[in-house]
Amino acid sequence: MATLTLTHITKRFGRDVVAVKDFSLEVPDREFLVLLGPSGCGKTTTLRMIAGLEEATEGTIEIDGVDVTDLPPRKRDVSMVFQNYAVWPHMTVYDNIAYALKLKRMDKQTISTMVKEAATLTKIDQLLDRFPAQLSGGQQQRVAVARAIAVRPKLFLMDEPLSNLDAKLRAATRTELKAIHAKTEATSVFVTHDQAEAMSLADRIVIMKDGGIIQIGSPDDVYHRSANLFVADFIGTPPTNFMNVELEVENGQCQLAGPHFTCVLSAENAAKIEDHDQRQLVLGVRPESILIVSEDDAVLSAECLVSEPQGSHQIVAIELGDKIVKIIAPAHPVIAPGETVHLTFDQEALAFFDKETGLRI
Amino acid sequence: MTRRKPVNLAKAARTTTFYILVVGVAAAMLLPVYFIVSLSFLSVREAYSYPLPLVPALETHFKLTPGKRGYLVSVYDRIEGAYESVLDTKELQKMSEYMRYQLATPVTIEDLEQQVARLETEDEVYFTRRRNLLANYQTFFGVAGYNAVPALIRSLQICALTIVISLSIGGMAGYAFARYVFKGKDLLKFSVLFVRMYPGVAIALPMIKILANMNFYDRPIGLSLVYSIGNIALTVWITASIFMGIPESLEEAAQVFGASKARAFLRITLPLALPGLAAAAMYAFLGAWNETVAAIILTTFNPTFSVVVFQTVLGSVGQVNLAAAGGMAMALPAVIFTFFIRRYIHQMWGGVTV
Amino acid sequence: MTAIARRNAKTWRKLGKKAVPYLLVLPVALYYAAFWLRPVLISVINSFTSDAGRFTLENFSLVLREESFLPALRNTTVFVVFSVTLEFLGALSLALLINRKFKGAGFFLFLAMIPMALPAAAVGAMWITGFTAHGWINSLLQYVGLLAEGGKIYWLVGSHAKLMTLMIIIDAWQVIPSVMIILLAGLQNIPPEVQEAGYVFGGNYRQVLRKITLPLLAPTIQTAMILRLISAIQVWLIVVLILGYSRMPFLVERVVYYTKEVDLLYIANEMAGGYTMIVAIVVSLAALFYLRVSGAFKRARE
Repeated sequence: MATLTLTHITKRFGRDVVAVKDFSLEVPDREFLVLLGPSGCGKTTTLRMIAGLEEATEGTIEIDGVDVTDLPPRKRDVSMVFQNYAVWPHMTVYDNIAYALKLKRMDKQTISTMVKEAATLTKIDQLLDRFPAQLSGGQQQRVAVARAIAVRPKLFLMDEPLSNLDAKLRAATRTELKAIHAKTEATSVFVTHDQAEAMSLADRIVIMKDGGIIQIGSPDDVYHRSANLFVADFIGTPPTNFMNVELEVENGQCQLAGPHFTCVLSAENAAKIEDHDQRQLVLGVRPESILIVSEDDAVLSAECLVSEPQGSHQIVAIELGDKIVKIIAPAHPVIAPGETVHLTFDQEALAFFDKETGLRI
Repeated sequence: MTRRKPVNLAKAARTTTFYILVVGVAAAMLLPVYFIVSLSFLSVREAYSYPLPLVPALETHFKLTPGKRGYLVSVYDRIEGAYESVLDTKELQKMSEYMRYQLATPVTIEDLEQQVARLETEDEVYFTRRRNLLANYQTFFGVAGYNAVPALIRSLQICALTIVISLSIGGMAGYAFARYVFKGKDLLKFSVLFVRMYPGVAIALPMIKILANMNFYDRPIGLSLVYSIGNIALTVWITASIFMGIPESLEEAAQVFGASKARAFLRITLPLALPGLAAAAMYAFLGAWNETVAAIILTTFNPTFSVVVFQTVLGSVGQVNLAAAGGMAMALPAVIFTFFIRRYIHQMWGGVTV
Repeated sequence: MTAIARRNAKTWRKLGKKAVPYLLVLPVALYYAAFWLRPVLISVINSFTSDAGRFTLENFSLVLREESFLPALRNTTVFVVFSVTLEFLGALSLALLINRKFKGAGFFLFLAMIPMALPAAAVGAMWITGFTAHGWINSLLQYVGLLAEGGKIYWLVGSHAKLMTLMIIIDAWQVIPSVMIILLAGLQNIPPEVQEAGYVFGGNYRQVLRKITLPLLAPTIQTAMILRLISAIQVWLIVVLILGYSRMPFLVERVVYYTKEVDLLYIANEMAGGYTMIVAIVVSLAALFYLRVSGAFKRARE
């Protein structure tokens, strides 16, 4: 078990392409850290630098306080699950798992015990004699995980290990990975572009964009206290609704005026943004924080464009100007297209962003 | 009542036409091959009969009658459907030799003595003897003038050397081509073209001097150096497409789990590439085995097998069946190797295009 | 100090890593330099050098004055144009035929590979025993009743055009399979959905072939054709095996003739050198011309 420290890591490909820039991060022992971001944001490159498969152009990488920046992968005591699993097709499942242990010159008995342990944990102990070609995608993925945990690494790296699985299997494996982490307690770095996966697995999420860190925080933090418009938009399905509003102060009362509504702010919210020097703001409201109420309590009313039943709830889309606003509403009563809905905001869940910088206020 | 699905006549007709076409094409490709195979089993007499027999005879039917000079030997001709007299002699030795070399039917002198003895009591003696089907091959390899056996050994040496040279040099470059970005990659890719653009004959001429200086002239190593020029380029193509087919992450995984780069290559990539590399080796073999042009120019006293066959064919006016046997002896390993690597020949062209 | 040492070490390691592909390619480069470039240069220089070792164009004027030069050039041109065209069309139709998955396609593919596996000498033996008057072709024609009993067709006697046609057919027989295999590999790399989309939007077989399949196959066609073009210009062995030297001169046939057949002739070296250069120039021009016309340069730049 180990801590991982990245200090001012930069990776350049050729002269012009900067894949990762000035990336600093500390991962404490036993943490499950997720690097999350859209494709091309540098998250996989960061992971590969930690593994030693790419060389950092600048900066240092330390594992347990030891500088490993210049060490080849084999001397870093890490293990990795690859996106395409990279299970060796010419070895049986047993040999796949045992190969790393053999390289460590362990004796046969120990290897056998450790392989079986890892295989039991990942539920592939029945498949040890098979070759990868005889396994399904999900089973190959398990072999990749078993291989990675069998070596009891200081650091457990995963590069989008679930992205090649179908939706149902992905959700199930996600749960299992979390359970395995709870048992092994290995410090883990997990790369994904799927925010739902990140939310459900992570102790902390690092949101990346264009090679840099945008926000680091717990799933709760990044969801409810998104650092900027990008995060608020990236996290959550459907994403946060954004509306351009103007802050008005009348008779000592703060209110937001948009083209389609005016909304009086609660005292706490008012206190938050009173001091901001800009009057033009972006209001961010999560779909579940827009509530359907009676006409009298409504801040705004609009016609339902479409509604998408989800079983446990329904997603109602309304049109405000040229923007579609999505609302998560209870499954009943069913709202039909064309029906007028009356809405108000949950004051506690409102987020305000600077219109120019996009930063949260 | 269930109605049977009506037969789609148009479709059936199309399918039939299609298969007729396939069979036709196959026939066009195989007929010449069939005839040369058949020809290589014919006896000299059969090979010069017209029309040629479709199938080589398995045995020869003889008829012996008293002749003017001694005994008249007649042979049954399958095409004419009658016995034809071929030899009139008293010497059994000569008779036996004729049977062995012209009719490819070994008959011992003792045997002939017995048959001749039967003429004392009978007017006509009939007897049938098994033909030696491999007679042409035995002659081709056995007669010292052809030098076929030493040439065969030399050819095999050349092939082995060519495989070693082109696979080691070309394989390294193929790996680089598949895994790295580097300057001159396009040049490497096009080398398969430009080394062919200059006529092979034209390279062979100055090579005489170059090889002579290296003391390699008229030796297997010299020819294999020449053959490797074209083969290396091809090997780069083949091995590049093989290595491209093996995901790099397999090697990376081994590195992460404790192997050095070299070890990851040896333990992971190489075993996976082995079947493909074997195919590349066979491809190199075919190239070196079949090559005739440079071999003609670059050998004087130590010709390769292909040169021997070439000369047999060129001087074959008197012995088409021998030429056929030589040709077949050359074709056989080529066809066998092609059978093993057919999947790869097909696959390698999918990988890279100019 | 240690920081500098470390940075130095890092720089060296990076250089080392960058050098890996070049080190892997180096043997090929050295090999080509020693055994391809060197003989090529020697032969180029030789073709411009007189016996006394001075620069001269005499070799070329000797070649141009030789009476079989023009026929050789003409024969080579005619052969290349017709054989490459025929082989392309034949191979493409065969490839399209096999590309439909049918029962026995794999076996058929193997059969198709046999002609290309056969050594030139074997092919020569095959056809020379076929085309003689009492060869197997006439025999076969007789068995199937196309030829009267005892009748003979004298294949190898007659007009120039007839012999040329024979040469082209023999060459096509051996070469079509290898071209077909390249085209087939290209065809199978085209995802079937692309063609299916063509059919779904109302295209018939010919339209889909012309507008979708062939354009996508273009790079493969180019590879196959350029290789074919290069070797067609250098044809000689099959001609010599069947017709002997000098009866139907070809450019490379002249080179071999002067090198091997009459190598004691006092101008043999000059003739061979001159012809060699001419072949090299013709091949290069043809290849460049083809690559240009087919748009390979444009594609390479994209």
